[in-house]
Amino acid sequence: MTSQPPAVEMRGITRRFGAIQPLRGVTLTLGRGEVLGLLGDNGAGKSTLTKILSGALAPSGGEILIDGQPRHFTSPRDAQDAGVHMVYQDLSLCGTIDVAGNLFMGREPTRRVLGIPLLDTETMHSRAAEMLQGLGVVIRDTHARVESLSGGQRQAIAIARAAAFSPRVLILDEPTAALAVMEVEAVLSLITKLRDQGVTIILITHRLQDLFHVCDRIAVIRNGVVAAERHIGETSIGELVDLIVGERFHARSAH
Amino acid sequence: MPVPHTDSASGNSMPATSSPTPQKTPARTQTSPLHAIALLFERQPGLASVLCLLLVCVLTFSLCAPSFLSVTNLLTILRQNAAAFISATAMTLVITTGGIDLSIGAVAAFSGITMAVLATFWHLPPAFALAGALLAGTVAGTANGLLITRVGMAPFIVTLATMSVFRGLSLLIAQGYSLPLPENAPLLEWPGRGWIGPVPVPALIMLACVAAGSITLHRTRFGRYITGIGSNQEGVRRTGVNVRRISLTVYALSGLAAALSGILMTGRLGSASSNIGVGFELDVIAAVVLGGTSLTGGYGTVIGSALGILTLACLKNGLILAHVSPFLTQIFTGLITIGAIWINMSLKGRDLFGIRKNGDDN
Repeated sequence: MTSQPPAVEMRGITRRFGAIQPLRGVTLTLGRGEVLGLLGDNGAGKSTLTKILSGALAPSGGEILIDGQPRHFTSPRDAQDAGVHMVYQDLSLCGTIDVAGNLFMGREPTRRVLGIPLLDTETMHSRAAEMLQGLGVVIRDTHARVESLSGGQRQAIAIARAAAFSPRVLILDEPTAALAVMEVEAVLSLITKLRDQGVTIILITHRLQDLFHVCDRIAVIRNGVVAAERHIGETSIGELVDLIVGERFHARSAH
Repeated sequence: MPVPHTDSASGNSMPATSSPTPQKTPARTQTSPLHAIALLFERQPGLASVLCLLLVCVLTFSLCAPSFLSVTNLLTILRQNAAAFISATAMTLVITTGGIDLSIGAVAAFSGITMAVLATFWHLPPAFALAGALLAGTVAGTANGLLITRVGMAPFIVTLATMSVFRGLSLLIAQGYSLPLPENAPLLEWPGRGWIGPVPVPALIMLACVAAGSITLHRTRFGRYITGIGSNQEGVRRTGVNVRRISLTVYALSGLAAALSGILMTGRLGSASSNIGVGFELDVIAAVVLGGTSLTGGYGTVIGSALGILTLACLKNGLILAHVSPFLTQIFTGLITIGAIWINMSLKGRDLFGIRKNGDDN
């Protein structure tokens, strides 16, 4: 399958905000169904990079290719149309709306009653239950309001919502932050399940131990460039920490 | 330094995503009336508490004043409060987005004045005068909406200011007088004081508005986004919904409803006064909140607001019939509102001081 183009190819992505240049030329390639852990200290540029890939920000320079096709995203909608979806750290869920309503937010099925398009809540609830079951997410009642659910369940709903669009590329921003231990396991198994379905996943996390459960490869961003790439079998948490923190650490220990 | 796989030591038996804390899920198969009531209290505490208050009012007044439950009196309550029902419906949508519209009383007066000017001084046909009044209200609401969604000003400030502007415009146009409606145009008064057989026209208009509002809020995508905007505007925007357009439409609808209210009030009086609807917005907001709609947005029911208006209306009417001093009415209205919100909060699983309970006691 060497002829198949990579799922995502970023070539020399730069971004400048006035005098500040958070991205100085990022080049990254992801294969289909690959899980990439994206690491970097605060301010390293990883959130700018994911915003560019998800269409929330336009790059100052460089190229993005999705499945070999050059793309120019000017809005999150453009990126979604190209199959790139992002689950934000705050999840973007509506607490006072039920599980099914959140899963279908923005694309609710309707049926016409006397010519008026009304929400087809029956279809929403039955398809929501199917979607969750297909991903192995256990939520007993799709009528439950999201605010009544645990952090792990909310995270699962946010991921399931993105997964429902049949994404080619899914960007997950800190999906396991602030979750209970058992919930972390559940979210990681959900990520594995999506990878098995052929979804390319970019995982941003500060919980380095999670990376070793699900990732194939790690990319470390530092000072706006990819400072290092490692296959998961060839690295350790200790090395990753050094790579994230950078040369200052090495320099001090060398003295 | 943490080592990989530390998590699996403590959570080794989690094959799939599941809830570590069991959800209390009501059984959906039972359909006994008692169960339905229990479900109403659990799912819709706001609706349940206002319904209780209404029943208490109706029971009390039917005992104190025999004429309270007469058909004539009940129709009077509906006729007198039709305008409030209509505006409360629109206000529910506004408040559910997390906004507020303080300008509705002034917009109602402005629309009534517009109608009188068009019909009496410009000699336009009554249908055009009615359409003009509705248009005036919609334009006023759209102006509110544009300032809120495009300029990004706070709804409270915008509508407080436009309240002043539209009240002032009404006074300026009418020079402080009441403007008469033309003698030969009964159509202008028909919405406010007409009858179709035994049923008052304003009651029919009101019922249609409440039904349309309820279906809109709870059964359409537009209504779903209204709730979503009140709950998490940025989250709804990220799913590709044009949240500005939704909010703008809601304020335009509020202006349209205020205009319809103004037409009803003007029709009932038989002349357009620039002083109608002073304090109207506060009565309507009180009723909406009484009906269980959250002032912070994200949750609201049109039926609750209608029950809120009905409760406050029954209270006013019943106290008069029971020969209680009219000065007491306002005090009762305020106390009832506080009481209803108190009940609502405790039903929502918070204690009376707003702190979340553990869930084991009531």
